[in-house]
Amino acid sequence: MATQTPPRSDAPPKAPAGTHPSADDPHVLLENEYDFYEPIPPYPPRTEREAEFYTLGDGEMFLNMGPQHPSTHGVLRVVLKLDGERVVDIDPVLGYLHRGVEKLVENADYHQTISQVDPLEYISSLFCEWAPVTAYEKLLDVEVPRRAEYIRVLSGELNRIASHALFMGWFALDLGGLTPILWSFIERDEIVEMLAALTGQRMLFNYFRIGGVNGDLNHEFLSRLGDWMSRAVGQIDANIALLNENEIFVRRASGLGVIDSETAMRFCMTGANLRATGVPFDLRRTHPYSIYPELEFDIPTRTEGDSLARYLLRMEEVKQSIRIIDQCLDKMPDGPIMAKLPRLLRPRPGRAWAAVEGPRGVYGAYAISDGTDQPFRLKIHDPSFIHLQAVGALLPGNLLADTMAIMASLDPVMGGVDK
Amino acid sequence: MTDQPAFEPTAEERAATPMASDQTGNAPAALTVAGSTAVAEPLVLRNELWAPADPNAYEGGRPAEVTHLAEFGATQAGRRDDARWSGILEVIPTKADLVLDLLRANSLWPLLSGLACCAIEMMSYATSKNDVDRFGAFPFRASPRQADVLIVAGTLTTKMAGPLLRLWEQMPEPKWCVAMGDCTCSGGRYKRSYSTVEGIDRIMPVDVYVPGCPPRPEGLIFGMMKLQQLVKDRRGHWPERAIGPTVPAGV
Amino acid sequence: MDRALARRLEARFETVLHGPAKGRHDQTEVRIGAGDVQDVLRALHDEPEFHFTMLADLAGVDTGTEMQVVYHLWSSTTSDWLRVIVEGLSRDDPRIPSVTFLWQGSEWMERETYDMFGITFEGNRDLRRIYMPPDYTSFPLRKDFYLPDDAARSPGAGVRHVERTHSPVDAAPGVVRRTSA
Repeated sequence: MATQTPPRSDAPPKAPAGTHPSADDPHVLLENEYDFYEPIPPYPPRTEREAEFYTLGDGEMFLNMGPQHPSTHGVLRVVLKLDGERVVDIDPVLGYLHRGVEKLVENADYHQTISQVDPLEYISSLFCEWAPVTAYEKLLDVEVPRRAEYIRVLSGELNRIASHALFMGWFALDLGGLTPILWSFIERDEIVEMLAALTGQRMLFNYFRIGGVNGDLNHEFLSRLGDWMSRAVGQIDANIALLNENEIFVRRASGLGVIDSETAMRFCMTGANLRATGVPFDLRRTHPYSIYPELEFDIPTRTEGDSLARYLLRMEEVKQSIRIIDQCLDKMPDGPIMAKLPRLLRPRPGRAWAAVEGPRGVYGAYAISDGTDQPFRLKIHDPSFIHLQAVGALLPGNLLADTMAIMASLDPVMGGVDK
Repeated sequence: MTDQPAFEPTAEERAATPMASDQTGNAPAALTVAGSTAVAEPLVLRNELWAPADPNAYEGGRPAEVTHLAEFGATQAGRRDDARWSGILEVIPTKADLVLDLLRANSLWPLLSGLACCAIEMMSYATSKNDVDRFGAFPFRASPRQADVLIVAGTLTTKMAGPLLRLWEQMPEPKWCVAMGDCTCSGGRYKRSYSTVEGIDRIMPVDVYVPGCPPRPEGLIFGMMKLQQLVKDRRGHWPERAIGPTVPAGV
Repeated sequence: MDRALARRLEARFETVLHGPAKGRHDQTEVRIGAGDVQDVLRALHDEPEFHFTMLADLAGVDTGTEMQVVYHLWSSTTSDWLRVIVEGLSRDDPRIPSVTFLWQGSEWMERETYDMFGITFEGNRDLRRIYMPPDYTSFPLRKDFYLPDDAARSPGAGVRHVERTHSPVDAAPGVVRRTSA
């Protein structure tokens, strides 16, 4: 319940008691309805940053973009401090999707980890599985068969294309365009049906296993893949042209939310957000894992660091992913798809870290084993969580309408942010 | 799973064990009566989470204005606890609802309340391949004041339960709720977590449950068609609906 | 494992390391105490022979007897990930200096570690809860915070209250509520 605090000194005077509020005197009507001022948040500030943020300057106001809002990232609450239309400061409030995955993983087997970490970055589930599985394989000193590695890379790159297609749709949606999301969902639906033929699920694939993958390539997957690949480049080019040739989109997105490379490194950003500032850091090349050393692909990098650069970079990465898929299909070796492992896994006590390059950035998993059949600790490092911090450095000075656009350009997924 | 006997800890035990667990106050909600197998009372959160600025709003004491229906307003049905005007006014539209519900069924406007992964499948259900526009439900409203259906898509956490209930209360009646995905039906894969609500029917009335993790868009279409059927079958009788973890009869 | 890196680390930090630098696969691991965090990480970040400019992860660990904070760093000078384990934090009042002066992006990672473990990062300007509601009193990832599942298998089984769930098939038929106007 609201606590009654005395009205502010600059508040308009209350109407005298007993008089009927006049319909054409807005001050009086308002004063009679809202006669209390509840500070945000409803407790005294507890940290230095909270005190700095929740102190209003002259002419500033708070605006709450609550956990439910038309942007599609998910349940993120952002408290904005506005000076008219300009954002002065922001305070993102997370935790509306915190499901306690790390605690649940500690109470389950190693194999059950995979289904628990799937919904973290639900759009790029395979990368969410890839990192912990690789960490467990390091704990167990297990070598994954080459065919399984190729299948992992193939399905991973497909998932990356689907994720970037969604990014394109959401970025345009947050800038106001309603068509690109329909186009990108067409593409995503095709890829996801393909992956459903391979893994059994459209999302949250639960496909990777410790030591390999779950099922081999089958006829339906390959026929859908071949069918899609024959149209893929043209379709992607059409999708990209839809936005690139739109002057409104280009003019709004260019110069929006510029990050320079020092700021990006200071904020521990990775992935396309870092490459758009000029730092050519891609784990597939700088710290290769799996069979990426055998594949030929480029790492697109841009130097402008604004939202348009991030968007164009991700679209170029889609084309590189198609190159990788081509090579995987060419070079696919025969062999088993799972290493021989006992049913009940008991790794030796130890610690292992594994990181993969997901569509959003470096997705890492730190696994600690204590010799029992349950993981002792699994810490997931999620890139969306890190990038959302940087929004606080990017937003001040921008207009309110650009708030969600900048957030969309950093491509956060709230499942990963909140774990 | 073996059944552990539950017993009340004594005061010394309570003082001896450091209270780091989430079970504050050591008073679980009506569950640990020894030997009881009754289904627990669903935790229906009343709207103490949010109170209006004016304590007299929302029939918090305002007497019935229409005198010849004041008697109805004084009954239990006329004084419901969720956000609505005084119960007298609901009698009048009920007869019109017989016709209006037929129209509403074909134009159920959902609220954009995608919380997690199921939201992606909800978006897929809304876009070209599984077009929901043909059912009249394409406008996903951003404001709860304009929405008919609350498709809760994604895990509900305890932190989000308050805002979600506030959204539900802000929706004008008649309103329906679809629990999409395992997490909203029963808690799903996060049932044992410390921060999730085990199914949204603990806090709000649910009309259709669409299981799946996530349900395919075709599954959600099936669920929405069931909702349309439900709206048509029960036209005019929206106030008498089941609340709680039940499956409505006849659906 | 990069043995040259391990030798360089041991040569540079021999006074503060708790033991030799270990490693396996593509990771090198060193252990230090809480008081040396700022010096060691600043040296790793600034000195050109190390140049660990990227903080990949900041994790809290509750080993049951003590608390640890684990940093994962990446550098362009070596092919290994470097893991810095800060051990010896007490379970009653774990305190550790913050590294937000080096990486502003560690602010939220430290908030998350505080929220889940209760480890206080001295120097973090914004040490409040990030996932749980602000009035939450427990620290969920500590080993003495039990989920209902593992309470049954814990040493404290039966002492604390466990949420018992009942399957709906056991419900008496009249229990289901229906409201009517």
